[in-house]
Amino acid sequence: MNIEKITCKDVMNHICESLGEDLESQKCVDIKKHLSECPNCQNYFSSVGKTIEFYKKYDLDVSEDCHKRLMEKLGLDD
Amino acid sequence: MNESLKNEKHPINESDLIIKAQAGDRKALSGLVNNFAFKICRDPEKAENTMQETFLSMIKSLHQFDGKSKLSTWLYRIVMNHCLMELRKKKYNSISLDDEEAEIPEDKLIPDWSNVPSDVTENAELKRILDEAINKLPIDYRVVFILRDVNGLSTEETANIADLSVPAVKSRLHRARAFLRNELSKVLEK
Repeated sequence: MNIEKITCKDVMNHICESLGEDLESQKCVDIKKHLSECPNCQNYFSSVGKTIEFYKKYDLDVSEDCHKRLMEKLGLDD
Repeated sequence: MNESLKNEKHPINESDLIIKAQAGDRKALSGLVNNFAFKICRDPEKAENTMQETFLSMIKSLHQFDGKSKLSTWLYRIVMNHCLMELRKKKYNSISLDDEEAEIPEDKLIPDWSNVPSDVTENAELKRILDEAINKLPIDYRVVFILRDVNGLSTEETANIADLSVPAVKSRLHRARAFLRNELSKVLEK
């Protein structure tokens, strides 16, 4: 078994991959344990998640005019 | 926390657009393609142009679609290729990323972002910050970040669309996330 101590730097280096990735490896289990005990890494983890959330919510609404121009270009205007 | 960021409103729901597009709603489908193009190009005018070119390409080459991959995968690849062509037309300046830039010094105290508003729909200041940060991200990393994290595709689908290996997608994703997070922290942690 890997008994190497997980440091904040290990967490910083691997935490991003753990967002949406497989967490079953021993390394990831150790990282999760460290994360549960380290407020600094918890803040980093949640700030990466929030960064992703920002870009997920940043959408551009397609205007009626924009859609109309597309339909005209495709010859599908009613 | 930056006071100008505290203006929130309901976002467009991309999941709703997908459901409407699948039901044959033309405007929802054009909205989806336009959104994806915008997320890569970061320019409404270029996004509209890319959307139009994407639909024209789709109509011209629909007979080449063999059904082995998802239609969305095929569509994403067309949009991505058009965006890359648009970006390469102009002199494109971006920085290079390496592992050191994706790291944070171990002794640095990381602030809590729980008070940062997460809704960007009507928040012009936050949009500007997000645009500035992602515009610095090299396009090869941006594409992976958008496909995997923003549009929720699997690592394998992202690798297929971006023509990369799975380890290359994971590496770029790690660097892209860390880079964007660090760029935003320069403003949000003031």
